[in-house]
Amino acid sequence: MASGIVVSMKCKNAFEQIRRQKMHRYIILAIRGERQIEVEIVGPRDANYENFLEDLRKGGPEECRYAVYDYAYYHQCQGASSTCLKEKLFLMLWCPVQAKIKDKMLYSSSFAALKKDFIGVQKCIQATEMDEACRECVEDQLRSLDRD
Amino acid sequence: MSGGTMLYGGDEIGALVFDPGHHSLRVGYAQEDSPKAEIPSVVGIGAHAPETNLDPETKTDNNVTPNNADSRKFYVDTNYVNVPRSQMEVQTYMKDGMIDNWELFEKVIDYAYANVIQSEPEYHPVLFSEASWNVRNNREKLTELMFEKYNVPAFFLVKNAVLAAFSSGRATALVVDSGATHTSAVPVHEGYVLSQAVVKSPLGGDFLSRQCRQHLEKHGIDLSPVYRIASKDVVKERDNARFTLRKLPENLTQSWQTYMQQLLMQDFQMNVLQVLENPYDERVAAQIPTVHYEFPNGYHQEFGSERFKIAESLFDNAMLGAGQLASTSVGMCDADVRLSLFGSVVVTGGNTLIQGFPERLNRDLQLRAPSNTRLKMISANGTVERRFGAWIGGSILASIGTFQQMWISSQEYEEAGKSQVERKCP
Ligand SMILES: Nc1ncnc2c1ncn2[C@@H]1O[C@H](COP(=O)(O)OP(=O)(O)OP(=O)(O)O)[C@@H](O)[C@H]1O
Ligand SMILES: [Mg+2]
Repeated sequence: MASGIVVSMKCKNAFEQIRRQKMHRYIILAIRGERQIEVEIVGPRDANYENFLEDLRKGGPEECRYAVYDYAYYHQCQGASSTCLKEKLFLMLWCPVQAKIKDKMLYSSSFAALKKDFIGVQKCIQATEMDEACRECVEDQLRSLDRD
Repeated sequence: MSGGTMLYGGDEIGALVFDPGHHSLRVGYAQEDSPKAEIPSVVGIGAHAPETNLDPETKTDNNVTPNNADSRKFYVDTNYVNVPRSQMEVQTYMKDGMIDNWELFEKVIDYAYANVIQSEPEYHPVLFSEASWNVRNNREKLTELMFEKYNVPAFFLVKNAVLAAFSSGRATALVVDSGATHTSAVPVHEGYVLSQAVVKSPLGGDFLSRQCRQHLEKHGIDLSPVYRIASKDVVKERDNARFTLRKLPENLTQSWQTYMQQLLMQDFQMNVLQVLENPYDERVAAQIPTVHYEFPNGYHQEFGSERFKIAESLFDNAMLGAGQLASTSVGMCDADVRLSLFGSVVVTGGNTLIQGFPERLNRDLQLRAPSNTRLKMISANGTVERRFGAWIGGSILASIGTFQQMWISSQEYEEAGKSQVERKCP
């Protein structure tokens, strides 16, 4: 069941820029006017995870957001002594505990639309508190995809 | 009114939201923070009225007009059902989480429009919540009823577990709902119920009410509900109650008396019961401060370890305990969503308000989850949010502008019939 809220063209473009051209490290998205998902912030390629968490909460502690992040980490390849750099795209639904129920509802019921349009995302992460959005938690989840 | 041309939407005309459960039906306007009314899911059915207006009392308080063919009187809502009346039976219209007795259900909907909404049904789109295991026949029947009898301009039906997940900010979640008649674990994945993995048990609030009653009766405590008491004296703790009985109409039915006693038990369990974070242990329970409770007849005492022992039955059942239910449900889902479900357990329903419920569920689920699983319990702190999560979710959904395209409009219904509900409200 979905809210009918749509993803703007700019969002789709920004997503392609990050996925294919690797132009940005992350993008932060917001629902505007209860109609459409728009790009709010574009994180430059050299931005780090701390910058991301700041930008995610830039609107205030009660604001919900979506984010796409191109996450890079080193992975110990099996059987080899070398490590290789991995990059994975995750899509985040950020609904802080303090957010208004109305916003939680809007964002969570529109998440599917985003996921449908963002083909190539390797992991979806839902977070209502920092312990779910923090670097370690996210990295854990991305690494767990490598194990099988 | 010409068909199909009517405008509807969150702004022009307020949509209505109905959230039916075994304990109550929650009713109100979309966009509001909480339901306007909570109507008990039972109807009082009076004996056949011999002749109308013989009894002056019924003229004022018979709140649903009997139709001509049926001379029985129907009593809806607390103020009418809870009045002692000769030969009035009490019956629920719900069964297994679904609407079952449509005749009684319609009485309640009539009442809701007349007394709660106080507006004509044809002006308001209607959104209903439903149990995740609701069956097609039932869904179509409700659709038909709303369009044919109430002439609603638009209708939508949505799973209560999905609404509860969304209103907690989750598109994917394991929704553990403990209400009156059952506890269920419902996996929701990106806004849709994974129906093959829904698991439920009959251990809910009503079950606890029965446990409480048995326990108290075994200890010789008189459970006369307040309607039986005319006056009472103040007595010392555990002293015999001194009270006088009220003069009551003759032939009070068993169903009504049982219902009234259940209300008393609900009050008792709400105020007294608590769940320990770990399995029941007499020594642990004995160290926790006791709780004082006074019964309607004036008898009062402190309750200690039994507070925990009774509530323990929600968790210690090997097959049906809440933790087992939740882990069974997750285990029935595809391996790739299991972690997301464990990481997003939404706790909802009135019975989860028993102190300690979410903590104990967390503990029991952690034990059953694969080691190192990140568990996350999400439970609203407020009583209103916990009990009305699905209603509130529906209230918001129905008021979102872009959602208007999702409704089944009366025009669509006229063109394609009740089967629209399967297509538009999967
Ligand atoms: N504060 C509270 N503490 C403990 N129990 C409570 C509290 N409030 C309500 N309950 C219990 O919750 C139950 C009703 O829960 P709820 O309103 O979620 O049920 P429902 O949705 O109508 O029923 P069902 O889910 O079985 O169809 C009752 O057994 C009631 O005694
Ligand atoms: Mg319920």
